[in-house]
Amino acid sequence: MIETVILVVQVALGIGGLVALVRVIRGPSLADRIIGLDLLLLLLAGGVATTGHPEEDLLVPVLIVVTLIAFAGTIIVARFIEWRDTE
Amino acid sequence: MSALDVLGTVVMAAGGALSLLAAIGIVVFPTTLARMHAATKSASLGLALLAIGIGIVAEGWGLFAVGLLLAAFLFGTAPISGHMLGRAAYFAGQTEGLVHDDLAGVDLRPLHVVERAERGFSVPRWFLLLVVWVVFWRDPTVAVLAGGAIVAAIVEMLLTTTPGVTRVRPAAVIVFLVRYFGMVVVSNLRVAREVLNPGHDGIREAIVAAPLSTDSIFVATLVANAITFTPGTLTVELTDDPRVVYVHVLQFSSVEEIHEQVADLERLVSAAFAA
Repeated sequence: MIETVILVVQVALGIGGLVALVRVIRGPSLADRIIGLDLLLLLLAGGVATTGHPEEDLLVPVLIVVTLIAFAGTIIVARFIEWRDTE
Repeated sequence: MSALDVLGTVVMAAGGALSLLAAIGIVVFPTTLARMHAATKSASLGLALLAIGIGIVAEGWGLFAVGLLLAAFLFGTAPISGHMLGRAAYFAGQTEGLVHDDLAGVDLRPLHVVERAERGFSVPRWFLLLVVWVVFWRDPTVAVLAGGAIVAAIVEMLLTTTPGVTRVRPAAVIVFLVRYFGMVVVSNLRVAREVLNPGHDGIREAIVAAPLSTDSIFVATLVANAITFTPGTLTVELTDDPRVVYVHVLQFSSVEEIHEQVADLERLVSAAFAA
């Protein structure tokens, strides 16, 4: 039962990733693409989390790194957009 | 299946559903700022629920604690990236669809800098950092504790203190956290309803300037951060003088309603943290 739910959730996350890609490709602005990429990373982290097992030592570092990259990446691009538009 | 398994499964399923709704939301919502509501609110809560749910199911309490920490991290960072990206999108001229705009014509310094506060060492904060360290190592051996104590001390000494926090009232903090959690749930339900509403005709976007009465930077920052997870609102800009928070509203009905919502939040935060 639990395995089935986990599988369903993973499929949902996979579909979500494909849907988010639509926004990354369509844009139209850079901010829209970054929203899509940020979400893609969070969905990836969600997928990693569903494989979670207490003895799995890699899980925590991977979760931290992925969410940190999503956060830092979004902020860097946001700064870039402001810099580009005020130059 | 034990009761814990049922609870964990339900939490996880909710997390998966929210994550999928977030993805659909960023595709179907009409404007960049509207899409950010789906991306910040639903995706953060979705991932947090996934991590906490798997922790419950696995009955690994270390994993459960990591899930809670990840949730705290997401709820702290998502408003920041949401604010910065929303601000950038606004100044890049993506203002179509706004029925009311208090930011129009406001001359804001790009990337404005707040003056630095003096440095200081806070023992409670050092202890909090140490707890985070131990939870991530999941194994409180002497080496981990000693290493954590040193790293936490270095981080604490390099941090700047935040002016304006003179007192923490535990009872009021709990009241704030409970109310805040309720707001997070309601705001996610409202976004979810809008995503599933085929015409998305509930969307009436606006940017409202809400004045804050606090003189503490800490309280103002916390309010601005929390607004992003309260129903229908997303912080776009916070100005220091006068202290005003500019809020993007997804389902706008009246300016007074937003002022009321922000003032309510400010009362909760002030009760918990202000002098």
